[in-house]
Amino acid sequence: MSLIVLNGITKIFNRGRPDEFTALSDVSLEIEPRGLAVFRGPSGSGKTTLLSIVGCMAKPSAGRVLVKGREVTSLPDRFLTDIRRHTFGFIFQQLHLVRGISALENVILPAYPSGEGLASLRERGVRLLDLLGLAHRADTNVEWLSGGEAQRVAIARALINEPAIVIADEPTAHLDTKLSLDFMAAMERLKAEGKTILFASHDPLVYESTMVDRVLEMRDGRIVAERRAS
Amino acid sequence: MNWIDKQRNIVDFALSSLLRRWRKNLALLCVYTFVVFIVASVVFFAEALKRDACLVLEGAPDVVVQRLIAGRHDLISSGHMEKLARITGVSDVKGRLWAYYFEPSVGANYTMVVTEEAAGRPGTVAIGAGVSRTLLAGQGDLIAFRGHDGAYVSLEVARVFPSSSELVSADLVEISEEDFRALFGLPEGIYTDLTLRVRNPKETVVVADKIRRLLPDTRPILREEILRTYEALFDWRGGIVLAIFAGAALAFIIFAWDKATSLTLEERREIGILKAVGWETSEVIVMKSWEGIVISLTAFLLGLVLAYVHVFFTSGTLFEPVLKGWAVLYPRFQPVPFIDPYQVATLFFLTVVPYTVATVIPSWGAATIDPDTIMRQ
Amino acid sequence: MRLRKSSAFIAFTVINVTGLALLFAHGALERQRQAPVLSEKKIMVERFGLTDLCLFTDARYTRNPAVADRSTPFQDNPLSLDYFPSGSILPPPPHLRAHELDR
Repeated sequence: MSLIVLNGITKIFNRGRPDEFTALSDVSLEIEPRGLAVFRGPSGSGKTTLLSIVGCMAKPSAGRVLVKGREVTSLPDRFLTDIRRHTFGFIFQQLHLVRGISALENVILPAYPSGEGLASLRERGVRLLDLLGLAHRADTNVEWLSGGEAQRVAIARALINEPAIVIADEPTAHLDTKLSLDFMAAMERLKAEGKTILFASHDPLVYESTMVDRVLEMRDGRIVAERRAS
Repeated sequence: MNWIDKQRNIVDFALSSLLRRWRKNLALLCVYTFVVFIVASVVFFAEALKRDACLVLEGAPDVVVQRLIAGRHDLISSGHMEKLARITGVSDVKGRLWAYYFEPSVGANYTMVVTEEAAGRPGTVAIGAGVSRTLLAGQGDLIAFRGHDGAYVSLEVARVFPSSSELVSADLVEISEEDFRALFGLPEGIYTDLTLRVRNPKETVVVADKIRRLLPDTRPILREEILRTYEALFDWRGGIVLAIFAGAALAFIIFAWDKATSLTLEERREIGILKAVGWETSEVIVMKSWEGIVISLTAFLLGLVLAYVHVFFTSGTLFEPVLKGWAVLYPRFQPVPFIDPYQVATLFFLTVVPYTVATVIPSWGAATIDPDTIMRQ
Repeated sequence: MRLRKSSAFIAFTVINVTGLALLFAHGALERQRQAPVLSEKKIMVERFGLTDLCLFTDARYTRNPAVADRSTPFQDNPLSLDYFPSGSILPPPPHLRAHELDR
């Protein structure tokens, strides 16, 4: 069974206004569990919008989204947030860490409202940082971290709620080659653990990697080509 | 217990959030605490004085009858006494002798009162602690009073009233009727005003009405009216109290304004991140409420504690110059800590609630943004 | 483990509330302790036939507001500067502000 099914998704921003524009038009897509898929295309092709709709962050203007067979487009925001929280982990292009608090606090931040005790949260957070080789920086404020360390904090934060799907938007945009390779190595481990991974990227280092199972070419809000690894 | 853990996690983050801007928040907390401190001090002090006045003045005469001539208070004769005594329900009509005495050497005003007890010891006076302080006179000392004819009369201090009673007795000079009349040149049968008792308290108003009709040149003052006078003590319309309350209100409006307009880019970004990593709008608002509660509750509690210590341990040191005013003689007293829980509750709702609301409302708009906004930055 | 921030806040609030409760308890004790002093003052008021507290001795009107002339609060205006602090704390008595003449 497909993990996520998109059915005729259209997303129009600023509808009815002079600056109206269509970010996605009539996109249909199925995403299977396990594996790494990359959405590739120039900026403005709708990659980010597609990821935010897949990740239940935004609602489509038309069409339906099914997560694990459940229709989510018509759900009220509260339930949508709940599904998002437990199904998806996000790594943002700008990382978007909260400044002024420690790396560990940043990692466990998404899990605060779950009501899990702080002690067990911290324990899980430290374990995640440890896996990424960052346990020694747990109590450092994030503004003192290097770019690569901050990136790994963002990865750990995406994993704290144990999501089935990890979504990353242009993850290597601000990384040099070595750090980009480190990042891909971390993702490979996740893939091996059985997570589903979705990227939006126009970095060859990402979409030409051997670990990528599927590349979807996007242009003008449509998927124009698809290549699967053999 | 899940709910409690959730709230504690959110409080943790709210505190982190406050600590990040600790300079601004500490300054805010200090000013806010000071505002609560000043307002609570006024409230405590006023309530203590009012309750003290109400309890103590229960002993005041039921009715005081004063004679008015040409719009001014004038002396009253015993002829009026007889007429009053005939009114049904009235008992115990007495002539009261009291006067103001200005002592030029120290510039103080005393209140001379005549009592029956003093009649037994002519040539002596009992004085309040305030009088004793200004004249540096103690028991056994002689005090010279300047009479109506310019001659000085020396009277011996038989006793100084205890300091604990200064709120009623600080400026009193208790004197015998004989000495009083000699000093001020008052003939027999003339009094300052009259007091009387009304047997049935419910009839007081009726009696007052009868007095007005029977003796048109007098006015009765009821004890109930005296008590009401002290209810109006520290009335919010009074200059100083108004200035304090207006200052507090202004400070509060500045806070609220600052809060409502100063949701910084940083704070907006933070709310966006919370939304993007899976916080619900309501959870963000709860977090912001906690931020407001932490500041306002702390300021409320600290302000209240400080105000209590200020008013009831240090006798309201900050109010002292206000109470002294231009007077040379003023009472020194330790207010009895009467606290009205209703006023404390009002203070709570006037401080904690509006501030918290002022914190939450601007965040509301920021918290309802779509979580994907942050992805498109 | 380090002290949790929310625990620190709760502890701080509990200390404050306890402090306040102790102070209010002090208030209750003090009221009891002062009861004899209050009744002593009441007896004094009865004995002297007093109508007012000795709060401000700077003017007739502020020393004995209850028996002030009806015209006093207007002639010697309580908000005039010579009686500034006292006059602004002690407004004209209600029974002088009310329409006593009409009764």
